[in-house]
Amino acid sequence: MPSTQTSQLDHLFAALADATRRDIIELLLAKGELSVGEVAAPFAISVPAVSRHLQVLEHAGLIDRRVERQWRFVRVRADALKPLETWLSRQSRYWTRALDRLEALAAAQTPMRKKS
Amino acid sequence: MSGADATGRMLRLERLIPSSPDDLFTLWIEPEQIARWWAPDGYKAAVHDLDVRPGGRWRIVLRGSGSRELVMGGFYHIVEPPQRLAFSWAWEEEDGMRGSQTEVTVSFEPVPGGTRLVLVHQSFDSKDARDRHLSGWSASFDRLTNLSREPHP
Repeated sequence: MPSTQTSQLDHLFAALADATRRDIIELLLAKGELSVGEVAAPFAISVPAVSRHLQVLEHAGLIDRRVERQWRFVRVRADALKPLETWLSRQSRYWTRALDRLEALAAAQTPMRKKS
Repeated sequence: MSGADATGRMLRLERLIPSSPDDLFTLWIEPEQIARWWAPDGYKAAVHDLDVRPGGRWRIVLRGSGSRELVMGGFYHIVEPPQRLAFSWAWEEEDGMRGSQTEVTVSFEPVPGGTRLVLVHQSFDSKDARDRHLSGWSASFDRLTNLSREPHP
């Protein structure tokens, strides 16, 4: 059904359409809170490049930042992926029922030809 | 069923239907046929546009009880009767704006006893993924959603 949170979903889709950003989210989900330097370490890209990715993720509501003295920490926001899961389950329900109706219609139109 | 198979998809549904691919494909591309199965219970589907060719537009209005109307539509990207159909999908918001753009691919494979229909709905329209018919996106989506349910260390 139409979403009143379309732009939120679009931001999520766009943020997660990038493989590096998905990897960052996976890393944070596995490790919990990390410093920006620790996020950058496994990737063959610069800290500024990682910071830009983190900005996109933050804008999409996927991560929270925390500053402690000169250190910046990031972690995945609780329920950040909830809108995606909601979208997925709605769409899954829609298609499951639609395919039930399609199947019934196909069966009524073309009875199975039995091989003799 | 949805799941994280090797090619990984956002949403993947598979059905074995006792009809030929030709007969089944027809149910997807003729307005009067679509009207018979597309709408959820309690709604009637009115097919406004159904230009089934690459680049062609589709638009379907669902009417519920009272004045409630839901509009969905998109554009066809792949039309290969009776094997494959791919089209973009978006709900139209009440202000006429298109909602989140998503992508549906349906394939029809002849098998003994009928047709294996595989429907894939992914959350963004990626021309690259469409062309290669492969996307790592939803495999990692599945990992993400599974991971997000586990408590952080």
